[in-house]
Amino acid sequence: MSDQDPGGPIANLKGEGHGHGLMTPMVPSEYVGRHLADVDGRRRVHPLTPLIHGLRIIPIVLLIGFSTANSFAKTGDARFLAGVLVVAVVLIAPITGLQYIAWKRLSYFFDSAGDLRIDSGVLQRHERRIQLSRLQAIDVVQPLAARLVGMAEVRIEVAGSASKATLQFLTVGEATALRSEILARAAGVRHDAGEAPENVLVHVPAGDLVLSLALQAHVWFFLVVTVLLVVVTVLSSGPAGLTLLVVAGGAPIFIVFSEFSKFFGFTLAESPDGLRLRHGLLQTAAQTVPPGRVQAVGFYEPLLWRRRGWVRVKINVAGVKSSDQGSGDRAYSESVLLPVAPWPVAIAVVSRILPGVNLQALEWQSAPRRARWRSPWQWRCLAVAVNDSVFAVRGGWLERRTCLVPHARTQSLRVTQGPYQRALGLASVHVDSTPGPVGITGHCRDANDARELAEAQSDRARLARGAAPPARWLR
Amino acid sequence: MTKSSMTQQVFRPPNEHWTPVSPRMASARRVSLVIAMAPFLIAVVVLAAVEIPRWIPMSLLAFTIVVAVWAWWLIGRRVRSFGYAERADDLLVTSGIMFRRLVIVPYGRMQLVDVVSGPVDRKFGVATVQLHTAAATTDATIPGLLPQDAAALRDRLAARGEERTAGL
Repeated sequence: MSDQDPGGPIANLKGEGHGHGLMTPMVPSEYVGRHLADVDGRRRVHPLTPLIHGLRIIPIVLLIGFSTANSFAKTGDARFLAGVLVVAVVLIAPITGLQYIAWKRLSYFFDSAGDLRIDSGVLQRHERRIQLSRLQAIDVVQPLAARLVGMAEVRIEVAGSASKATLQFLTVGEATALRSEILARAAGVRHDAGEAPENVLVHVPAGDLVLSLALQAHVWFFLVVTVLLVVVTVLSSGPAGLTLLVVAGGAPIFIVFSEFSKFFGFTLAESPDGLRLRHGLLQTAAQTVPPGRVQAVGFYEPLLWRRRGWVRVKINVAGVKSSDQGSGDRAYSESVLLPVAPWPVAIAVVSRILPGVNLQALEWQSAPRRARWRSPWQWRCLAVAVNDSVFAVRGGWLERRTCLVPHARTQSLRVTQGPYQRALGLASVHVDSTPGPVGITGHCRDANDARELAEAQSDRARLARGAAPPARWLR
Repeated sequence: MTKSSMTQQVFRPPNEHWTPVSPRMASARRVSLVIAMAPFLIAVVVLAAVEIPRWIPMSLLAFTIVVAVWAWWLIGRRVRSFGYAERADDLLVTSGIMFRRLVIVPYGRMQLVDVVSGPVDRKFGVATVQLHTAAATTDATIPGLLPQDAAALRDRLAARGEERTAGL
């Protein structure tokens, strides 16, 4: 480890013998350290990168064009078009120029300890070391601008670090190769073994996705808001006002569209280096969740999905430590395991990703009848169940949820009681899991049952932890 | 069985050995209360000095006194409600009057044990032990410990945690 310490007289001496073309012993020590660590050579991101950064602002140019189109329509199309072009060049050229300098100064390599290093920065140099032993997840993402020219970015997430490390941009082939190289190095196997084979578990058809969105109340709410906005605008300022609507009234419909676009073509696959989630219409993402990182699973059923037997599956993935729970952006990126799937498929997938976990033989114990005074809407659905491997809770009224956590993944337990619950002799049991969308709370149990449940769960969790095999990277 | 004794049994199981927290914490909290009430008293003085009906500063004063007396009394009860029990494999923490809770933290799940002490707490010689697990929601905090007790508890918990530590 000490030989990658940038600087110090020892590093300086060693550096001379390393044969990486060091100039003189007079080189500043930080450069010596960097050359020392360089084992497989430095690599650069793709030379088209600056241009992609420039192209990213095209939507803004188009927006300006659209919103000013009306006032320019009289003066003639050619001049208007020329104006838009000038604006585009004026905005894109400096961005591209700056990004070109940034590109020249950015490089990445694997150091002698096997960790990934990213050096970047124009005025202020930034040397980042990504400890692969603490790798949490790795995504290959294609934003729209990059996708048009066949490029992708690689996002790397490490435990205990607040922000993702991002490499922009590589060709799609390079990006996937880099991903498998990082995963292989993290697992300690040969890194030139190539992409691990994958086995597609589920593909969500576009028709199902559209229908599933159409069967959700909030989607209708947004659509109605959009229609109202259009009607009000046309009534108040005539059809001409519609151009303004692109900016003002587009938000609700945009929310609906972005949900569709995010989950379009959702494919869940399994490979030795983890779960692969691919999805996206305009921006495509390929996320990899290493095995054994799934902590809790939640099944969500909106009212209108029940007749079709559909369910959305979300997961908690072990991530950053509780001390920086605030970094919400991470998180929730790989939290949707399946945007919509029939129950049997969802169950089959969950049994695959939680190996050795038994989802059968759950005997639901409903909340006592007096819970209806505390939770008048959801009391019928409230229940908890325990079997030899999971603790499960059920609840919800319009949207039903079923959440479960394997005994071995139980963190801590809480029993809580508010004044109203006390008057009714009720209490809630919480099983704490790592930060994520799935919360495991058994609401409104009989107070004595609640404590016994928590105590028993504490014992079950301890036994399961003792028996559980150590988390392994590759199986 | 009366309702209160039943609650007692749920949130403070009688067959465990419960350690209470120091009554000094009540003094510390009451000083904090007086500090928090100071702006209201200043507001009363300022309002009394300007040309407005007398009843406005008077009612504010009455309100401040009522809140302060109620909080003063509540602090005593709340401090008495705190307790912890060290068992063979986990730590129990209980607290609360209106909103009661019992937290069970397995030693093998503890990632970090902190001892913290604010300026007022230090004046009164009390410290708080905070337990952290990989779950953000754990919320196991034991306030009002004497500094030497807090340090000893931290060391005991850390040692037990190390013995039983498990992966995620």
